[in-house]
Amino acid sequence: MKVGIPRGLLYDQYHPFFTRFFTELGAELAVSPPTNRAILDAGIQCCVDEACLPVKVFHGHVSCLKAQCDLLFIPRIMRLYRGEYICPKFCGLPEMVLNSIYGLPETITEPFYADSMAGLRKWALRAGARITRDRRRIKAALEAAIAEQLRFKTGYDDQGYPIRVALAGHPYNLYDTFINMNVRKKLNRLGIGVVTEESMDEEEMAPEVASLFKKPFWTFARKTYGFISASVAGKRVQGIVYVSSFACGIDSVILELVRDRIGDFPMLVLKIDEHTGEAGVDTRIEAFADMLERSGRVEDHHSPHGQRLSCCESPV
Amino acid sequence: MLYLGIDVGSVSTDLVLLDNDLQVVEKLYLRTRGNPIRAVQEGLRTLKERYRDEDVAACGTTGSGRQIASVLVGADAVKNEITAHAVAALELDRDVRTIIEIGGQDSKIILLRNGVVSDFAMNTVCAAGTGSFLDRQAERMGIPIEEFGDYALKAGMPVRIAGRCAVFAESDMIHKQQMGYNPADIIMGLCEALVRNYLNNVGKGKDIRPKVFFQGGVAANKGMKLAFERALGFEVIVPEHHKMMGAIGAAILAKDAVSRTGSTRFRGFALAEHRFESRGFECEGCANRCEVARIHENGREIGCFGDRCGKWSSRIASYPAKAGNM
Repeated sequence: MKVGIPRGLLYDQYHPFFTRFFTELGAELAVSPPTNRAILDAGIQCCVDEACLPVKVFHGHVSCLKAQCDLLFIPRIMRLYRGEYICPKFCGLPEMVLNSIYGLPETITEPFYADSMAGLRKWALRAGARITRDRRRIKAALEAAIAEQLRFKTGYDDQGYPIRVALAGHPYNLYDTFINMNVRKKLNRLGIGVVTEESMDEEEMAPEVASLFKKPFWTFARKTYGFISASVAGKRVQGIVYVSSFACGIDSVILELVRDRIGDFPMLVLKIDEHTGEAGVDTRIEAFADMLERSGRVEDHHSPHGQRLSCCESPV
Repeated sequence: MLYLGIDVGSVSTDLVLLDNDLQVVEKLYLRTRGNPIRAVQEGLRTLKERYRDEDVAACGTTGSGRQIASVLVGADAVKNEITAHAVAALELDRDVRTIIEIGGQDSKIILLRNGVVSDFAMNTVCAAGTGSFLDRQAERMGIPIEEFGDYALKAGMPVRIAGRCAVFAESDMIHKQQMGYNPADIIMGLCEALVRNYLNNVGKGKDIRPKVFFQGGVAANKGMKLAFERALGFEVIVPEHHKMMGAIGAAILAKDAVSRTGSTRFRGFALAEHRFESRGFECEGCANRCEVARIHENGREIGCFGDRCGKWSSRIASYPAKAGNM
């Protein structure tokens, strides 16, 4: 039995859990390669046009895997934390895929509630039954998968750069270096280190989130808002780089909340979509780097030349 | 000594020469027509007749084609358009606090505080309201783009046009034309729609304070200037060389770069006569299948663009410093 796992959406965050679970059950795994142009093209071709880029990319991964596995895993992630939801596109992901891509093998699409042990167990028994009838083995696989996930550390925390920025956005936009044109590498090259929300404790975000007029409905919104606000309040970074996929509804809300909180603190919003030309992204990143660098210099600038502060001192 | 600035944009390629006091002594405004190399060469050819290589003490490039132009001419400074526009505006007036820049394919807002960029934004995916759209509408209405602004000023009662999307705006304009409104009212209505779109999109949430500089090709349109002034409630200044501000900024940045490095990398005007060729191919090194553009100068490869991993673009580290007569 070969289980196919598409390397899209929350794969980067939860692959230790899912891969360990299916391996423990004795399944062989087929994982699609990191996103590339062929995958992007396939996704755009088969996915409904209204979907956001990461959902299209997920479709691309599925179409790349469909002939290589007997059982395809399409996670229907409903909830990660108690009392919260994630983007509705995750709940309907299996339907989108099943109705858009022909020639799929059997699929696992059981709803996944990760906010309680009971929820996880329910998912495991249903999903696991597709591979084995041995319930004890399924329960053991679940334990092993949870332990594997808890050991897993992810996220960026670059050290040793003169400037540091918070890199924010949905994880699948931040860690898919193809669709974000490797924004981290581009920033690093300009002397800017990045830090992501995984390097911040939830306790540190909590007071920021609690100060909102109501508790955010979405997990992504809570975490991203908490991370950005706490990074700015704690003076951990000199700027924010927010990677957002075009037409993302949740981002449109988060960005308004964030802007309201941080005022004129430097923030660059990078909208990503299907284009592969990098000139637009490069221009924005370079200009943002210039801005951070120059404004930093003005603050502690005591030039004997008086008026001419920094405009002509750029290290080109 | 002169300082050469080249701004290779989507629609126009601009070249300027500045003197020691950073005053414009020469400016060329050329159409890029999708061929940045030819546009830059055309500019150099014109300059070649009046200047010698030794006159050029520094050379800088900016605009979306800045990398390709830099390899071509041997630039001392290669800078993004935001910084270039800001540098040029601040050189003219230290009190500028907002720059509105509308070019061929993109529009930007730059906020300056205490002589540095404090915030900026560029249009996202949509290019509604930029120069190419105005060009197209002028052509459709049969009015030369140069006269578009004068028409707008003659408007008595501008009609309301939907500005959110270029496609909607165009169909709205056609409807209004069919209903018999006069062209002046429609054109001014279009200007107002584009300004509304700009302020709600690129300028959303930005604290636009005077002095405002309006730069880029679209600033030549008096209707756009007026529409901005009406919407903002204060004067909007269009600098004399509004079309060339990016190139001016690049020249200033190049002058600074050379003051640190000591000598220019400018390869000379003879480049204008060299044979440049761009050969595209799809790299099969990995699944990304990058479209790589390979630039050849007189049959010799001088640079590659478009690959993600750097396999091709980093390959050529050195190219001839001065262009000889090959």
